[in-house]
Amino acid sequence: MNLEVQPGEIYGFLGPNGAGKTTTIRVMMGILKPTSGSVTLGGYDVEREPEMAKAITGFVPDRPFIYEKLSGTEFLKFVGSLHRLDPDVLRHRIPSLLEQFELTPWKDELVESYSHGMKQRLVLSASLIHQPKILIADEPMVGIDPKGARALKDLFLSLAKQGTTIFLSTHSIGVAEEVCQRIGIIHKGKLIASGTMADLHRLAKMEEGKLESVFLELTRDGTSPVEYARNVNRY
Amino acid sequence: MRITNRPVTSNSLFVLLSPFFLSWKNEFLRSGERKWARRALLLGLGLGFWAGIYWIVRRVLVYFETVHGLGPALAYQLLLIILITFLSMLLFSNLIAALSTFFLAQDLDLILSAPTPASAFFGSRLITTTVNSSWMVLFFSLPIFAAYGSVFHGGALFYLWVLVVLPLFVIIPAAIGALITHLLVYGLPARRIRDILFFIGLFAFVILYFLFRFSQPERLVQPEAFGHFVEFLSAMEAPSSPYLPSSWAAEIFASVLFQRPVELWFFYSLLLSYALFLPLAASRLSGVVHLPGWSKAQESRQGRRQGALLDSVIRRITRPFPDALKAIMVKDIKTFLRDTTQWSQLFLLLALIVVYLYNFTVLPLDRSPMPAGMLRTVVSFANLGLAGFVLASVAIRFAFPAVSLEGRAFWILQTAPIDLRALLWSKFWLNLMPLLFLGELLVFLSNTLLRVPQWMMFLSLVTIFLMTFGITAIGVGVGALYPKFDYTNVAEIPTSFGGVACMICSIAFIGMTVVIEAWPVYLLTMAGLRPGPSGVSGWALAPSLAVVLLLTVVAVVLPLRLGLKRLDKLRD
Repeated sequence: MNLEVQPGEIYGFLGPNGAGKTTTIRVMMGILKPTSGSVTLGGYDVEREPEMAKAITGFVPDRPFIYEKLSGTEFLKFVGSLHRLDPDVLRHRIPSLLEQFELTPWKDELVESYSHGMKQRLVLSASLIHQPKILIADEPMVGIDPKGARALKDLFLSLAKQGTTIFLSTHSIGVAEEVCQRIGIIHKGKLIASGTMADLHRLAKMEEGKLESVFLELTRDGTSPVEYARNVNRY
Repeated sequence: MRITNRPVTSNSLFVLLSPFFLSWKNEFLRSGERKWARRALLLGLGLGFWAGIYWIVRRVLVYFETVHGLGPALAYQLLLIILITFLSMLLFSNLIAALSTFFLAQDLDLILSAPTPASAFFGSRLITTTVNSSWMVLFFSLPIFAAYGSVFHGGALFYLWVLVVLPLFVIIPAAIGALITHLLVYGLPARRIRDILFFIGLFAFVILYFLFRFSQPERLVQPEAFGHFVEFLSAMEAPSSPYLPSSWAAEIFASVLFQRPVELWFFYSLLLSYALFLPLAASRLSGVVHLPGWSKAQESRQGRRQGALLDSVIRRITRPFPDALKAIMVKDIKTFLRDTTQWSQLFLLLALIVVYLYNFTVLPLDRSPMPAGMLRTVVSFANLGLAGFVLASVAIRFAFPAVSLEGRAFWILQTAPIDLRALLWSKFWLNLMPLLFLGELLVFLSNTLLRVPQWMMFLSLVTIFLMTFGITAIGVGVGALYPKFDYTNVAEIPTSFGGVACMICSIAFIGMTVVIEAWPVYLLTMAGLRPGPSGVSGWALAPSLAVVLLLTVVAVVLPLRLGLKRLDKLRD
């Protein structure tokens, strides 16, 4: 895999289940050690300067863990302290994030009483607490209602406008189509396509059509999407 | 964004530990009346145990003091045995805790994706490991030290030494646990991180066995083995294994308590240097191998399942049961065998059995002032209670969590067209079979080693048979009464409030059974001592066995019914 994402760009990362999206992201975040190769975030090598690389990056995992016995405010304070933010900064930053993600009424409740969507919003706000230059999000839309999803897409667009680089792994082709400037498709651990929508059409040898058709065409294993659907229906 | 200039490591260490402190604080302050009532009950029980330990140890030490010239030597040997037992318990629990905190914790992604310095990460995890695995040992060691202090008039200086020595004593096994766990995860070709538990179980078995042999507890009751009193005394005053931290700690305490001419500061420096060196070495190692080890263990795939033979064995075992029961049992057996965290505990069980039976081979029964025949029967009868206790401890590990282990998948059973009664009975039968085998084996082998009369063998085998039914049903029933489906770690289940309640019920049941049988056993034992034919026959056992049978029926039916009611209520 050889991939470069420009500052302020929203890069969509698509792939079938088990293609290696989450593994790639975990290697990018320094949670997994690569067997070979390297990852550079904002000019910092994740292997050699992990603390510097992580300090400028925000991360939304696919299955986020939050301490159930902490309140929303306490959790944000904890993550902010991990990033060594000044307590004075946190005093202002936390209420504004809670407000932005509509969690203010719940700020002092324990996380165990939060709904799935609220937990997801809390994780998103935690990932932005240190105003990262890079945001890596693994399936951030899961469990979020349509209103929340709209707000999240707007947030990504506005962050990108301010110069934040966003690496967005998603199953939702609609989201990728709507917010991403470039899209990469990973299949069986290999990046099989990367580029703008026009580039992908060219690669799939399709003149026009939605991203869904391009995705299915590029990731099919000898069977056409129509045949695949026919096989599924048979069972 | 403004970033603080505070020293990175110490600040990060505090930050990394903050969720645990805050969680404790929130858990403590934000709880309803029911939780407070439970806490009060647990505290009462804890204090009861505390007082009981203090009383027993004090009585033993006071008795030692009456043995002219030998009191301090015997007390010292007992202290050595206690400390070596603590050390082995700490080593084992630290191995498990280190694996869990360093490699299995759910917050690892969150922590490792943040700019956390490796040394702060290691420090915080080591502290968590030490606290998690040592608090119980520390809690129960305090009454022992209090008893020593009060009998041998240790004074404030002794307690000060206890305060200074114990933290070093617990940090050493914690650092060793972290070191070994890191090496195992990094070095072994384990397919999955949980497979490491297999090796940890094996390791713990070896450690337990050797530490137990180091302590040689039978020396306390075999003075004649030394031939001469002076030889015996000098052997009693020397540590059996001078290279263990437990012996160093014992030397320090002994020098304060018994005014022994020991280089106190030498042993303290020894403890201190190891307590500083081992965490440092483990920290360095962790910095190098933690991420690669963790990555390697996570990436690998589970090996292909090869289980045709096993499938046929399971099919045979479950053949007599109805289909729904059979389905649940097959699922339970397979998940148990595939979950290393579960079955690796069998190694501990094996160690327990070996140590248990070994005790019977070294008992100096023939040198007792009591008639050997009588003593054998008394020990065998006491052994019934003890075997019951062993079964209860095993049941709390396996039978009690049986319902909770359904976990978040419980909805499948709730929504399936099966009676929940079938669920409980399947758990009951599945746990009963191995427990029955274990109980009968323990009692048969120990009675054979004791060479007890035939009637005692018969009584023991029948009693343990009935007892196992009761203990299993109490385990499964109380487990259903207090299910814990939202566990993050299987080990949490037996230590919950329900686990304590289950243990209390089991011990009460075992106690009642033993008390009911005590009188006829006494009659038959005394009759055996008199020469010639006596008027007491084996039929004297019949009424008490009938009462025990009745008690067992109650112990089986009541908990299972209550458990079933509770599971039914979950649907409301």
